[in-house]
Amino acid sequence: MSSTVGKVIRCKAAVAWEAGKPLVIEEVEVAPPQAMEVRVKIIVTALCHTDVYFWEAKGQTPVFPRIFGHEAAGIVESVGEGVTELKPGDHVLPVFTGECKECRHCKSEESNMCDLLRINTDRGVMLHDGKSRFSINGKPIYHFVGTSTFSEYSVIHVGCLAKINPAAPMDKVCLLSCGISTGLGATLNVAKPPKGSTVAIFGLGAVGLAAAEGARIAGASRIIGVDLNPKRFDEAKKFGVTEFVNPKDHHKPVQEVLAEMTDGGVDRSVECTGSINAMISAFECVHDGWGVAVLVGVPNKDDAFKTHPMNFLNEKTLKGTFFGNYKPRTDLPNVVEMYMRKELELEKFITHEVCLSEINKAFDYMLKGESLRCIIRMDG
Amino acid sequence: MSGTAGLVIPCKAAVAWEAGKPLVMERVEVAPPQAMEVRMKVKYTSLCHTDLYFWEAKGQNPLFPRIFGHEAAGVVESVGEGVSDVAVGDHVLPVFTGECGECSHCQSEESNMCDLLRINTERGVMLSDGKSRFSIDGSPINHFLGTSTFSEYTVVHAGCLVKINPLAPMDKVCVLSCGISTGLGATLNVAKPKQGSSVAIFGLGAVGLAAAEGARIAGASRIIGVDLNPNRFEEAKKFGVNEFVNPKDHDRPVQQVIAEMTNGGVDRSVECTGNINAMVSAFECVHDGWGVAVLVGVPNKDAVFMTKPINLLNERTLKGTFFGNYKPRSDLPSVVDMYMNKKLEVDKFITHRVPFSDINKAFDLMVKGEGLRCIISMEE
Repeated sequence: MSSTVGKVIRCKAAVAWEAGKPLVIEEVEVAPPQAMEVRVKIIVTALCHTDVYFWEAKGQTPVFPRIFGHEAAGIVESVGEGVTELKPGDHVLPVFTGECKECRHCKSEESNMCDLLRINTDRGVMLHDGKSRFSINGKPIYHFVGTSTFSEYSVIHVGCLAKINPAAPMDKVCLLSCGISTGLGATLNVAKPPKGSTVAIFGLGAVGLAAAEGARIAGASRIIGVDLNPKRFDEAKKFGVTEFVNPKDHHKPVQEVLAEMTDGGVDRSVECTGSINAMISAFECVHDGWGVAVLVGVPNKDDAFKTHPMNFLNEKTLKGTFFGNYKPRTDLPNVVEMYMRKELELEKFITHEVCLSEINKAFDYMLKGESLRCIIRMDG
Repeated sequence: MSGTAGLVIPCKAAVAWEAGKPLVMERVEVAPPQAMEVRMKVKYTSLCHTDLYFWEAKGQNPLFPRIFGHEAAGVVESVGEGVSDVAVGDHVLPVFTGECGECSHCQSEESNMCDLLRINTERGVMLSDGKSRFSIDGSPINHFLGTSTFSEYTVVHAGCLVKINPLAPMDKVCVLSCGISTGLGATLNVAKPKQGSSVAIFGLGAVGLAAAEGARIAGASRIIGVDLNPNRFEEAKKFGVNEFVNPKDHDRPVQQVIAEMTNGGVDRSVECTGNINAMVSAFECVHDGWGVAVLVGVPNKDAVFMTKPINLLNERTLKGTFFGNYKPRSDLPSVVDMYMNKKLEVDKFITHRVPFSDINKAFDLMVKGEGLRCIISMEE
């Protein structure tokens, strides 16, 4: 079927040679998959803020040259030894965090933080042999979070691939392999707002809007968007957001403003900025007795979450989530089906589209705050 | 039956005239119940740390003279206008927090923090007319928490009275109207440990031991008691505690010790000391992915709860509880039933017994940290 099986594939990839510098389209060599690995032809990919964050590499251990990218959809080209769940031709979503299905986390009903395949931002090689599958003239190019989807072909651990409905349009569902699922799951799996409830969403970027979309799907009656940038308010209406609060417009803390608007506090809040103050506000703005706050956004390493303990004794619950609490292999196919049944809308997240050779435009849009999601078609 | 209905009842009460001074047995006059109130004959009462705390009145608004007491069981003597849920002769537990049945908290499935009858430590009078039902020679004596059970008769709002099985021995179930239910509910209603799970209990006083009892009932396989006082360990075994950690025995933070003992953290923790460091440790010692920590103990007014946000993003849940999340009128009868069908053991909490005239001995025992619960028998 595929004449490339077992052979090195030469293809195009957008390589980051240095932190913060534009990616360069190079010809790379992609080695065949080893045991428990899968080589995937990437059809469409998208830029997520986490790619930008590690590309800028401010204050982290820089790992360069590197192929970024972790939101994508593709087709299996070949599989390594021991892979039984996937075969050439299957449609897949690569995910930056995996599911081995054997460890305590995978076996737990609740956790999605697989011991073996949990996100690792420092590692630039494959687990099996500690080496990269990408090279240019024999020199290794590092992987990123086990996906590296800014390449026409990538090699990914089988535990990090979700097999999806082949009828699903890949240029839409690619978004489900990171940001949109993160926000959606934060609401649907963790906050779980009852029908008719009030929900506050902090941060109206792609993740926050996905959280709002989750609240819309759950039947929340009031979805209050909180953001420092009033330009985001108009767009947010498409995602079910019904009211807006800009903390800059008020002298008092935003949690007080929200409590006044909602007779004591919202039923649920979802925090999607990573700002430590927003995280505290998101917790303190939920109603006593039954309120639940869910933290999604990742803060700076040194930030401290502080609150008065009475807020807990008053029966407010504080939770956090990672990738919307979705187990990648078990749950993502169902999220794709939610889209296929038209319960979940994805088109509205896509504001820009470029081809691989123009991938740096996607970075520009994101840095300027102009886009929600820019998809990158690999075939151009 | 009650020839005293509508009349003032002269009876004995243990009156606290000044903060921290021994109670004095006085003859008080107890006025009849007004609308939505009930006058009851107290049969048995017990001392809870909250009585002690407000009797010491260090740094609070002192409200004296006052009749303390809020853990008790008794019989309805007469009812005021509009009371239909209890009748003369009913066996009841008075509770320091009530359930009006109508407000948004009472209507919520989750909350037990009734808007109308929520605990109020500052109020020394009845809601309906802002006056006390207790007097000595015409001078009012303040109520405490709407219960004031250190008196042969007391007047309580109907929403704060739980009608219980008349077969239940009142000298045992009186302790269910506060401390034991608080700890028990923290585990059974809020932490909800699964069969075979591991649970850490911080603080092995009566509330902590009740939380441990809840873990035993839920089928936890490991119940780890954490306390600075090793003398408590032996007693705790009766309550299902099967391992002990004394933070003083270790150089490193106790959450690390517990994580090492449990392959990454306990499934559930319940914090019953009110010490802010213990509260933070109780949160940080639960396993990532699925751990839940429940805060019960009430800290100082100025305490600040602080943790690194990653502890939440790693899928740990932090909750707090008030009165074990039990709705007093709706839920306490089933707790009494749990005792009657021998699922819940209460007798082991009762370590001492004194007649009403010796009530100050109960205070001495508690101040010295001796014993768990001392039953004060009104009729001996």
